[in-house]
Amino acid sequence: MKKSNINGSQTATGVLLASLVLPGLAALAAITPLGAAAENAPEKTTIAIKYGHYNDSQPGWDRIKVDAAQVYVQAPIAGDWSIEASGVSDNVSGASPRWHTQNTALSGASHMSDERKAGDVKVTRYLARAAVSASVAISKEHDYTSNALGLDARWSTDDNNRTWTVGFGSASDTIDNTYSGGSTAINRHKSTNEFMGGVTQVLTPTDIVQFNLTRSLGSGYFNDPYKSYDQRPNQRDIWIALARWNHYLEKFDASLHSSYRNYSDTFGVQSHTLGLDWVQPAGRWTFTPGARYYSQSAANFYLDPILDAQGQYDQQAVVARANKLYGSNQSTDQRLAAFGAITLSMKVSYAFTPNTLADVKYESYRQTAALHLGGSGSPGLDPFNANFIQVGLTHRF
Amino acid sequence: MSRWRTLRFDFSAMASPCSLQMDGRDEHVMRRAANEAMAEVQRIEKKFSRYTEGSVISRINQSAGLAAIETDTETSGLLDFAHSLWTQSDGLFDITSGVLRHAWDFKNARLPEPATLQGLLPRVDWQQVERHGNQVRLKQPGMELDFGGFGKEYAADRAAAVLQSHDIHHALVNLGGDLHALGERGLPELQGTPWQIEIQHPRQDTRQTDTPLALLTLARGGLATSGDYERFFIHEGQRYCHVLNPRTGWPVTHWQSVSVLAANTTTAGALSTIAMLKGPDAPAWLEAQGMRYLAVQHDGQVLRSNAATD
Amino acid sequence: MNRTILSLLAITTLSWLGGCSNLGQVNAWDKGNLAKPMMTFEGDPLDQRFVQHIYASKENSSGGYGVGGGGCGCN
Repeated sequence: MKKSNINGSQTATGVLLASLVLPGLAALAAITPLGAAAENAPEKTTIAIKYGHYNDSQPGWDRIKVDAAQVYVQAPIAGDWSIEASGVSDNVSGASPRWHTQNTALSGASHMSDERKAGDVKVTRYLARAAVSASVAISKEHDYTSNALGLDARWSTDDNNRTWTVGFGSASDTIDNTYSGGSTAINRHKSTNEFMGGVTQVLTPTDIVQFNLTRSLGSGYFNDPYKSYDQRPNQRDIWIALARWNHYLEKFDASLHSSYRNYSDTFGVQSHTLGLDWVQPAGRWTFTPGARYYSQSAANFYLDPILDAQGQYDQQAVVARANKLYGSNQSTDQRLAAFGAITLSMKVSYAFTPNTLADVKYESYRQTAALHLGGSGSPGLDPFNANFIQVGLTHRF
Repeated sequence: MSRWRTLRFDFSAMASPCSLQMDGRDEHVMRRAANEAMAEVQRIEKKFSRYTEGSVISRINQSAGLAAIETDTETSGLLDFAHSLWTQSDGLFDITSGVLRHAWDFKNARLPEPATLQGLLPRVDWQQVERHGNQVRLKQPGMELDFGGFGKEYAADRAAAVLQSHDIHHALVNLGGDLHALGERGLPELQGTPWQIEIQHPRQDTRQTDTPLALLTLARGGLATSGDYERFFIHEGQRYCHVLNPRTGWPVTHWQSVSVLAANTTTAGALSTIAMLKGPDAPAWLEAQGMRYLAVQHDGQVLRSNAATD
Repeated sequence: MNRTILSLLAITTLSWLGGCSNLGQVNAWDKGNLAKPMMTFEGDPLDQRFVQHIYASKENSSGGYGVGGGGCGCN
C-alpha cells in the first residue's frame, strides 16, 4: 500500500518496494509514474521577453503609436513554491490630450499617457491538489498610479477532472494631472475590489471547459480629466461572466479555442466578446489564426454628437447642452458609445528546442458603430482601425 | 551536435517484437546507448531463459532434487523479489508453476490429460525452494523455476537503466508491450509532452473499430499488460490462455487483460500478472497496492482505477 | 438577465455534449490528448497582457479572466 508521509510525497511499500531493492534497478529511482504534469510546481524556470508595437488611425486625429517592452520570469522555489514576476514599459507617441469640447465631442480620442511602467510579482504555494497565490502589482504613469493586491486559490477533485478557483483583488488608484499642466484632477482616488469564482471541467477526452464569474465594485473618481464636460458616477459595479472551451480535433491534431464574455456595469454598458482561435501545430511550427468580435452598448450618460441642419457637427449646440446638463453625469467619450469591433489575428511560433520558442503575432482591429450587434451603434462615431504586432522569445531551463 | 531527431531501433527478444525510441541530438551517443541496451536485454534473456543450455535457470532446474547452485547478486535479488510476490499474492504468483507447461500444449491446442496435470501439481510449490544466502536448491526432482512472470519487464527496466547511464533523457523502451518511459519527448515541436501510448484492446482481432482501449501519456515509469490473448487456444468455444493458476493448473478466465502503471516495469508486470491470477479480487488488491490499472473483464466490461493523475 | 442567458446557454451546451454518457468522468487513462500544450487555457503569459491592456483603453469592458492585476490610466 502506498502511504503519504507528512510532506505529501509518497513512500513505497508492497510490490513496488520489493522492486526498488533489486540491485539492477537502483538507478531508476522514481516512486510514482508521471504522465502529463498536473497542477504542480513548475519543474523549470521560464524567462520570456516580448516587444509589442501598436498603431492606430482614426480620420482627423494624430496617429498614436505605442511601443511596449515586456519581460516575464517564472521560477520554482524549494519544491513546493514558485514565484512569477513581470514588468512592462510602454512608450506612447502622438497622443495629444484634448481640452476643447469640439475635439472631444467629435469622436473622443482615447487617452493614453506618455509613458507607463508596471510590474507585478506573484508567489504561489503548491499543495496536494491545490495551490494558493498572493500577488502585488504596481503601475505608474505620469498622471496615474495604481497599486493592486491579489489572492487566489485553486483546488482539484480527486480525479483531476474539475478544478475550482476563487480570487480576490483590490486596487487603489490615484489620478493627478497637474504634471501635464492640467488642473481637473488633483490627487483624486479610485478603489476597486474584485471577487472571482470559477470552475474548469474536463468533459471528454477531447474537451475541457471553464466558467468564471467576476464581481467588481469600484468607487471614486471615474471621470476622464482630459475632457471638458465629462462627469461620471463615483461608483461603478460590474458583473462579468466568462465561458471558454478548448476542443481537440484528432483529424487535424489541432485545437479550437472558443470563448464568450458577457459584461455589464452600472454605467449602463453591456458588452459581448466572442473569441475563436485555431491552434495548429505543424512540426516545429505552430500557427494560430484567430478572430474576435466585440459589441458594447452605450453608457446611460453617454451623449451623441449634435449635428446641424447641414449634417455638420454643431459645436454651439453641444456646449449649450453640456452646460444645461452641468452637475449631472455626462460624457462624449467614444469609449462609452455603442459600437462593435472585429479583430483578426495570426500568431506563428517556432520551437528551436523543446525549451526555446520564438513567436510573432499580428492583429488587425476595426471598431465602428455599424459593427454593433443588431446593426446600429451610436451615431457620429468615426471608424477606428488599429494594428498591433508582438514579437517574443521564451526559454525554459 | 546537430538537429533533434527521433531514432527507433526494432529488434526481437524474448519471443516478442521490441523497440527502443529516443529523441536526441547526438546520433553517435544514441546508437551506442541503444546497442548496449539491446545487448543488456539479450544478456538477461540468455541468463534467465529456461531453454538456453547453461543459463542460470537451466542449471538450477537441472539440479532439482540434487545439489544447491551458487547464484550471483542479480539472480538472488530476483529470487527475493519472487518470494515477495509469492507472499503478497497469497501464493498465487509462484515461479515454480512453469512445470505446468508440460501438461498444456498451446501449439497443438490440446487440453491436458487429467493424470498428467495431477502429477505435476505437487511440483508447484515455492515453499520447496530452499535458499541459503546465495545458494538455491529445488527440493524435488522435476521442479522448475520460470522467470517468465517478470523477466521481460525486468529487462525493460534494465534497458532503461542502461540508456540512463548514457545520459539519454527522452526514451521509450518497448519489449512486446511492456513499456518503460525514461523522460518525456525531446523533440522541440513536442515541447516536453510525454510519450503518447495507445493500449490495444485485448479482442482487437475481432472488433469492428480500431480505436485503442486507452490513450494515455507517460513521461516516467513503467506500463505492463497481462492478457489472455498472448498465448492461447480456443477449444469448443472456450478460451484457454497461458496464465495458469498454480493451485489448480488451469488457466484464469476472469480478465481479458489487465494493464498496470507503476514506477517501474518490473512492478507493473508483476502486478498485472498477479491481477490476472486474482480474478475478481484484482481491483481491490491493486487499489490496496496504490496502483493505477485498466482491466477488461471476460465479458468486455472495462474497469479503471479510481486513483487520479498525479 | 444576461447572466441567466449565459447559464442557460451553458446548460444547453452541456446537455448537447451529454450525448456522451460519461460526461466529466474522464479517466487518467484517456487524457492523452488533453495533455498537449495546445489544450491549456493559460497559454503565453505576455501575449494576453499586452492585448488586454490595449482593449481596456479602447473599449469599456476589461477583466473577467483573473484578479489582482493593477489598473491603468485608461478610464
